[in-house]
Amino acid sequence: MKTKMNLYAGKLLVVDLTTKKITTEPLRRDWLKEYRGSWGLALRYYWEAVSPQVDPLSPENQVVIMTGTFTGTLVPMTSRTCLVSKSPQTGTILESNIGGAFGPELKLAGYDGLILKGRAESPVYLQIIDDQVTLESAVALIGKGIFETEKLLEDAIGTPEAKCLAIGPAGENQLPYAIIGADAYRQFGRGGPGALFGSKNLKGIVCRGTGAVRVADMANFQQRVTRWKQENLLSEANAWVSTDGTPGTVDMTNELGLQPTRNFTKGVNEKAVGVNGDAVNRAKIGDRACNSCPMACGKFTRINGAEMEGPEYETLVVGGSNCDINELEPVIRFNRLCDDLGLDTISCGATISLAMEMNEAGRADHGLCFGDADEYLKIVSEIAHLSTPRGRELAQGSKRLAEKYSSTDMSMEIKGLDMAAYEPRGNYGMGLAYATSERGACHLRAFLPFHETPFDLDVMSREVAEGQNHNGIKWALGFCQFWGTLDFEIMADLLSAGLGESVTAAELATTGERIWNLSRLFNLRAGFSAKDDALPEKVMKRKLEKGPHAGRVFSQEDFETARQKYYAYRDWDENGVPSQQKLVELGLDSI
Amino acid sequence: MKKLLFAKPDLCSGCGRCTYACSAVKEGLFQPSKSRLRINNFSLRGYSVPSICFQCPGAACQKACPVEALSRDENDVVVVDAEKCNGCGLCVAACPYGMIEQGTTGLAYKCDNCGGDPACVKECQPGALVYQEQDKEIVKVKGLQMKQRSTSGIPEQKRHALGLAVLKVGREE
Repeated sequence: MKTKMNLYAGKLLVVDLTTKKITTEPLRRDWLKEYRGSWGLALRYYWEAVSPQVDPLSPENQVVIMTGTFTGTLVPMTSRTCLVSKSPQTGTILESNIGGAFGPELKLAGYDGLILKGRAESPVYLQIIDDQVTLESAVALIGKGIFETEKLLEDAIGTPEAKCLAIGPAGENQLPYAIIGADAYRQFGRGGPGALFGSKNLKGIVCRGTGAVRVADMANFQQRVTRWKQENLLSEANAWVSTDGTPGTVDMTNELGLQPTRNFTKGVNEKAVGVNGDAVNRAKIGDRACNSCPMACGKFTRINGAEMEGPEYETLVVGGSNCDINELEPVIRFNRLCDDLGLDTISCGATISLAMEMNEAGRADHGLCFGDADEYLKIVSEIAHLSTPRGRELAQGSKRLAEKYSSTDMSMEIKGLDMAAYEPRGNYGMGLAYATSERGACHLRAFLPFHETPFDLDVMSREVAEGQNHNGIKWALGFCQFWGTLDFEIMADLLSAGLGESVTAAELATTGERIWNLSRLFNLRAGFSAKDDALPEKVMKRKLEKGPHAGRVFSQEDFETARQKYYAYRDWDENGVPSQQKLVELGLDSI
Repeated sequence: MKKLLFAKPDLCSGCGRCTYACSAVKEGLFQPSKSRLRINNFSLRGYSVPSICFQCPGAACQKACPVEALSRDENDVVVVDAEKCNGCGLCVAACPYGMIEQGTTGLAYKCDNCGGDPACVKECQPGALVYQEQDKEIVKVKGLQMKQRSTSGIPEQKRHALGLAVLKVGREE
């Protein structure tokens, strides 16, 4: 028998839904140094298994779910676990990332990750109790929301200590912005992961793990963990995570003129006081944390009997300010509905706000108007269930909706993924980050809203690339975005202590860059090129209203300059293709 | 009065760092399922209830032990004498809170407050776990938890029952 590994469980679970065959395979140790875990490792496995031309919703596509290297340990904020596949929303490579407690439970059950192949003949769920793994019928769960599904899966496995992943009606209907939920309010949120489960006839996964994660020298490891937690994580710079969580950002982006308002026509919402951090704090009845996180950014709120964990910043703005909904209660109800029925709040909010603007301009009437909370709440269920003509139209997402009504000048998506809640006309760094993100207009690859020189294209192109590389390895190790002061040295120190072997900061930085470049290679082979690293027409042509950036656009010329600077910094050619030298440097030349 | 470990569920964020810290100290591994305290998470309701050993006066586990392997130490803590424990499991059945369990060899294990310096308390950032002398506030929150006694079921079910009872009060409409 092989010696047990430090930090890793040492094996993967492979589930073929077509043949119902369940196997385990040892972890590819030769890939660990180069890819480490989670995003990196999942991407490497996916690259090996699937052609970039695959139809995302076909049985030939696979889904790889992988825990972080530190997941299941006392290293703070490391419950995060990745899903890698091809996105049904964008057709690009997809990395989606979840917190909560599923990832740790999976590793404690004895698996660093799992690979899902094929398609089940009829609806099933996967049951994992340590080394007892079975596929069970989910016929009785069809049509049920995520909250009820999780409860029924826990009941079925017979332990309330189990952790679940589940899809709702939106996932079953394979909607392009369907999520996979966990712990009620945590999600694999962006890019349509719920549709991937739906396409495989997989309603959910329930897992109970009673095993252990070991480290090289527990006393030494704990000492390092405590040191970095006390000296770095619990410093003033990160305090906002505990005190306000993400809702505190509403006032900040409003002050900076970066708050998407009325479908990205204005940069300031004068009525945001109804949906800002103070409003959330007044409704707050408790603080909630992901597994092994001492910060507890989740604010559990309740208004008039509507309760949930959240809303988070993105939902408060894309589902609030951007729809001109300026009271907290409807946003809470909207968010809870999306979480239960299985919709990404960003894409759902953005599709609704697009319909509102089209209606205002007289281009299409879906019965949705800015500020009308009743219809805004009604449509969510119609989308998830495909129960009305307007629900079916919005269910296709903003890209197709805009195309249908010749309104691409109004939609705010890139590669099909709706933009998060930071206005790129007031921050060119965010514009470049959205345009070059491997999965479309995502804010989590390079996060620059508060940078001091947001229009300096030299600085921004560098910061975007560096941020993307940094988050590549940060995610791979399982860390949350919100440990904002985490650096390569701390990661290397903790990893060295956990593994019992020396890991340098420099090699971790290279791993981040390797992950980003491999994602790029996938997208190039899937047919994407520089022309797809683009901005929405609205950002380039329509002047922003209100606030410090009123009148500003991010022009085609400026954007082209920024993009070329970014490519050059990455050692990619003008078409966005990595140079041979770069690929050799990263060990990707013969992959 | 002696210091003891107490839980304040209203402050618990459900992170479970206490269970990682406990298993690291007691097992040398990160193994929450072997932790001497547990967290009952009710994610949908946004509430969590720690299950801790109350070191009960007239402890049921101690009374049930046929070989006197359980005794009370100088800190008022009920401890297991591994030499004497015969692995019969009667203590596990007797504890109304599911807070004493058996390892693979049958040996009973439970919380011993780390001999007066509990590792879980040091990891509890929200302050839901405290090590202190009993005061008025603690008597009240502890009383609510101790009221939920299970006379049957496996430890996990007993802990869950206590969690549900406390949740009902903690998340009152």
